[in-house]
Parts: sequence; C-alpha cells; structure tokens
Amino acid sequence: MNTGAGWEDIVFNSRDPVYLQVVRHFKELIVTGRLDAGQVIPSRRELGAKLKINPNTAQRAYKEMEERKLIVTEGNSPSRITMDDNVLRTIRSELLGEAVEAFVASVSKINVPVEELVELVKIKYIEAQDDVSGRTVSEGGGDKHD
Amino acid sequence: MIEVRNIRKRYRMRYVLQDVSFTAEKGQITCLIGMNGAGKSTILKAIMGLTPVKSGQILIDGQPLGKSVYEKVAFVPDHLTMPLGMKLSEGLRFMADFYDSWNPQRAEELIRFFKLDTKERIGNLSKGTAAKFNLVLGLAPNSEYVLMDEPFSGIDMFSREMIAEVFSSELIEERGVLLTTHEIGEMEHLIDRAVIMRDGKIGMDFDCEQVRSEEGKSVIDVMREVYLP
Repeated sequence: MNTGAGWEDIVFNSRDPVYLQVVRHFKELIVTGRLDAGQVIPSRRELGAKLKINPNTAQRAYKEMEERKLIVTEGNSPSRITMDDNVLRTIRSELLGEAVEAFVASVSKINVPVEELVELVKIKYIEAQDDVSGRTVSEGGGDKHD
Repeated sequence: MIEVRNIRKRYRMRYVLQDVSFTAEKGQITCLIGMNGAGKSTILKAIMGLTPVKSGQILIDGQPLGKSVYEKVAFVPDHLTMPLGMKLSEGLRFMADFYDSWNPQRAEELIRFFKLDTKERIGNLSKGTAAKFNLVLGLAPNSEYVLMDEPFSGIDMFSREMIAEVFSSELIEERGVLLTTHEIGEMEHLIDRAVIMRDGKIGMDFDCEQVRSEEGKSVIDVMREVYLP
C-alpha cells in the first residue's frame, strides 16, 4: 500500500516536459487534499527518488513551483506548500476548469440539450461520490482487493 | 565535461565512426541511442582508450586521455569482466586494490541496494544479478564520470526497474553519466540529453525537456525522424 500523500501515483507521458508533469501532480495532490497548505514537502533529492526522475528534473519542477508561488522556501528550512489562499484557490479553479473543458469538448460532439446533460452529470456525480465513500469504508476494513 | 571531437574510426574498409562530436556534462545523464551497430559501444571504448581511433580528439575536463582517465572515468561494460571463480567479496577486494578512487562505503551501500550476497561466486550469478554486480563495480569508485554500455539489455523487468532507480538516487550524485541503449522506452524521462546515432554518425543531439516543451516530441518521436525520414 502507498504511504503518505501518494507521491508515487504518477505515470509520465513522454511528450510533455517531465518537470511540468511533476508540477501538475503537485497541484492535483493539493486540490485532492493529499497535500495540505503549509505542509513540508520532500527535498529535491527525495522527490527524485520517489518519482524515479532525474534530480535535475526535480530541481526544475521545484524552481517552477517556487516561481508560481506554489511552494515557499525560507532560508535553509525545507520547502512547504504555500499558505496563500489566493494561490490555492487559483490552483483549484484551474484544475476544475481544465477538467470541465475536456468534458465539454468530448460531450459537445454528441449534441445533447444542456438540461439533460446537467441532470445526467448530477446523477453520475452523486453515484461516483457514494462509490468513493463506500470504498473508503471497505478499505478501512482491511481488505486489500475489493 | 567529456568532449568527443570529430572522431573517425575505420574497420575493414568501412567507417564505423564518421566525424562524431558531442559532449557529456557533469551532473547530467546523457544517453547514446541507436540501433545495434550504430557505433555506440565503439564510442565508449574510444573514450576509455580501449580502441584506437583514426582521427579526432577526446578530452576529459579539457585533458587528453591518459593514465589518470581510469580513476576519473568508470566504465561498466556490457558484460561482467571478472574472474568467474571469485566470490563477490573477492571481486570487491580486487577492485579496491586496483583503484585509488574505490569507495568501500559506497560499494557496501550498493551491495545492500541491489540485495546482493557477497558470499556468492561470480560464475553462479544470473544475468540480471551479474548486471547489478557490474554496476556496483562501476558506481562504487569516486569517479567523476560513469560510462555504461547497455545497462538494461537482456535483463528482467524488476531488475531493470531497480537499475533505473539508481539514476534517480544519490548514488549518481553530481557525476556525469554517459550510457548507451537501443531501447529508450523506460529511460526516456530519466535522461537529460539524448544523442541519437545512426550508421556511425550523429543523427541528432538534444536536450530532452527542451524538445518536449518546444516541439511536443518524445525522444522516440525524434528517433523515428532520424531513422525513418
């Protein structure tokens, strides 16, 4: 089982820059609550080992995240996720926006009335939420393969 | 920095290396990629002074090849070149006696990392385990550069994953790594620079992240362009 924040849950595609894929992975961990505001993150070297990437790439991802104020590093202390609510909100709306855009792009080919679509999304979404909470309970029961 | 400048080599009336130039920087992983017979291994051997070249120059940190190159640059050949009757522990001892740059602590760390048994005889190792021991011998010295010839070829998936892990660990640290491979697949996101070879020539030499961000191409995409224009 994975321990911690789920760092290892990443599959790299080969056409996007690896460092940007790492940044995106961080954003997803933040938005899904697996990384908290102000939480200490691994050192560059530790991250490299965890994600099985080259330390130069880890370095570049951290630099990018620092520039975008996603993480903060003060003096010699380890880097942390930002506490800045504005930044955190922006990440959330950014990821949500991208996901909705992708959904709309694929659904608009079908040409469905918006009311029907919204209703369908609502039903599916609630189902999915129930599924997720159901699964968490059974995982808590200790059964690995459900 | 390892600088290869305009090297040429002929073998039986045929150029196996034609005007090859590239550099491998310290702190970076550079990968020579190409089909079998493209000249990758010959380049590594030329850098180590193991095969003569007809013309051109090879410089290590600005210095031409000399005796000191063997302390500064470690070479992991594509097969283990140790007496088969030796135990692993004896093999380590042999290396320690031979190289001033040998770092026994790191050797121990590597043995633990690869979960090797030093009481085993070298001749009894499976192919994958022999490859791991080969890497121990190459990575243990405090050399500034490490050359590896096909470290993944013919090795099972789990051993390959373990070897790949070395590249993102502190065992490589700030060293310069130059390796060859004919199957880039799983290494793709681990390397900094790719040098694609074809028929003894450099087809393309590039920074992998740059090509991904500027052209949206994977290393394999570029390789296709070189081989199937």
